[in-house]
Amino acid sequence: MKLRTFRRLGREAWTSLRRNSTMSLASIGTVFITLLTLGLFLLLVNNVEALTLSMEAQVEINAYLQGDLAQEAIDAGLAELQAMPEVSEAVFVSKADALQELREQFGDEQDLLDAVEDMNPLRDSYRIKLVRTEQAAVVAEAAGRITGVEEVKYRQDIVEKLLRVTRIIRTLGLVLIVLLVFATVFVISNTIRLTVFARRREVSIMKLVGATDWYIRWPFLLEGVFIGVIGAVTSSVLIYFGYGTFVRACQQSVPFLPLLSSSELIRTTCVWLLGVGVFVGAAGSMVSLRRYLQV
Amino acid sequence: MIQLWNVGKTYQNGTVALKDVNIRVRKGDFAFIVGPSGAGKSTLIKMLYGEELPTSGQIIIAGKNINRLRRFEYSLLRRNVGVVFQDFKLLPDRTVYENVAFALEVVETSSREIARRVPSVLGLVGLADKMKMLPMQLSGGEQQRVALARAIVNNPVVIAADEPTGNLDPDTAWEIMHLLEEINRMGTTVIVGTHAKSIVDSMHKRVIAIEKGRVVRDEEKGEYGYEA
Repeated sequence: MKLRTFRRLGREAWTSLRRNSTMSLASIGTVFITLLTLGLFLLLVNNVEALTLSMEAQVEINAYLQGDLAQEAIDAGLAELQAMPEVSEAVFVSKADALQELREQFGDEQDLLDAVEDMNPLRDSYRIKLVRTEQAAVVAEAAGRITGVEEVKYRQDIVEKLLRVTRIIRTLGLVLIVLLVFATVFVISNTIRLTVFARRREVSIMKLVGATDWYIRWPFLLEGVFIGVIGAVTSSVLIYFGYGTFVRACQQSVPFLPLLSSSELIRTTCVWLLGVGVFVGAAGSMVSLRRYLQV
Repeated sequence: MIQLWNVGKTYQNGTVALKDVNIRVRKGDFAFIVGPSGAGKSTLIKMLYGEELPTSGQIIIAGKNINRLRRFEYSLLRRNVGVVFQDFKLLPDRTVYENVAFALEVVETSSREIARRVPSVLGLVGLADKMKMLPMQLSGGEQQRVALARAIVNNPVVIAADEPTGNLDPDTAWEIMHLLEEINRMGTTVIVGTHAKSIVDSMHKRVIAIEKGRVVRDEEKGEYGYEA
């Protein structure tokens, strides 16, 4: 197909979009809402994932030892832990080290610790870091079997909750997006159906004078794609500026919340929105063309 | 040019529209197809531009067997067969010029070619001074001239007209028939389905009569042969 033909067809699609402005606006609005939701979910999922990842990196297992263990036994236990493939790092923390760390954490409240200085109540321990958080339970159990280990503790609950939240958000988001995409395709196909009816005379004459099927289809297809693209661009603009503002506001009021702010993430999100916008527009048109345009 | 061999058409509801039709039209012929309403004239003409396909037999138009065309080849067939209808089928929101140009635009003719051919063909049908009018502003005869201009602007080898004068008064009907004759003289094959007895009788062209889906008469220089 020639370039000037495409210009002509594009113009036709645009004219028809404007002639039918109420329905066109309704469709664009639907695309906008769908893509806005999609964009927000993409950002949310990415952020929760990043949060989980950073929590995972922080998850460690503490294996507390009996008080009277010989140095050889300590070394042997440590070597055993380090040999496990699920363990990324294992160190021995004496009770003196532990107290020192506690001091650093307490900061101004040193008096509290001075009281226990002479009779350090803490225990020697192994501090174990994991390759993957899901393996916490396995590693904890194995650590418990090591000679001299009295008790094993880890922050299993938090990580598992976080993983569950991620899964729920993902599933919920996916279901919602799929529903919205279906609804959008339906609304667009309805708009295109009106266009097909409005132009059925023209279409029948086009057929009579020898227009090819694709020549007849293109303006309708383009009209759907225009709707999708306009919806995508408006929602992208809102997300682009809205998210930046949101992140800045968060960093001022809740600075410890690790929000992603890379422009890479926003750019990827916008590309996704544009892609999905084009897709729902074209799909909506095709649905109508298959049913109402007998070419 | 056009050959029909044992062509039959049975619609899905069981109606037999055509049966064992054998017709041969040479290049440059002018033929009337006559017969009572419901005899199958329209079905026959629809087959000439691929709107209906025969359910039996073969149709060959300009060397192509229309049973064996692929989808996009039907559009090529229609560029070779200009069609004219009783109800003109013009686009009411486009001017005379635009209606004719439309037929060229959709087959991807260049703008320069469109600007050259549309005025010339409108001149041929005598509408050079009404190019900017809308169909509504024209008389029935003038509207049919626009439709004729649209049918011939792409230089088809065949013009197929289904009751082209059905909506027109006798004088105007004559003008349209003369125009079709004129087009035929320039080498285009013309096939006209019609009820216009007086015209058929006085033009002395080939007449193919159809009754109940069968060809009952096919005469060179024939007459209508029925009481109108």
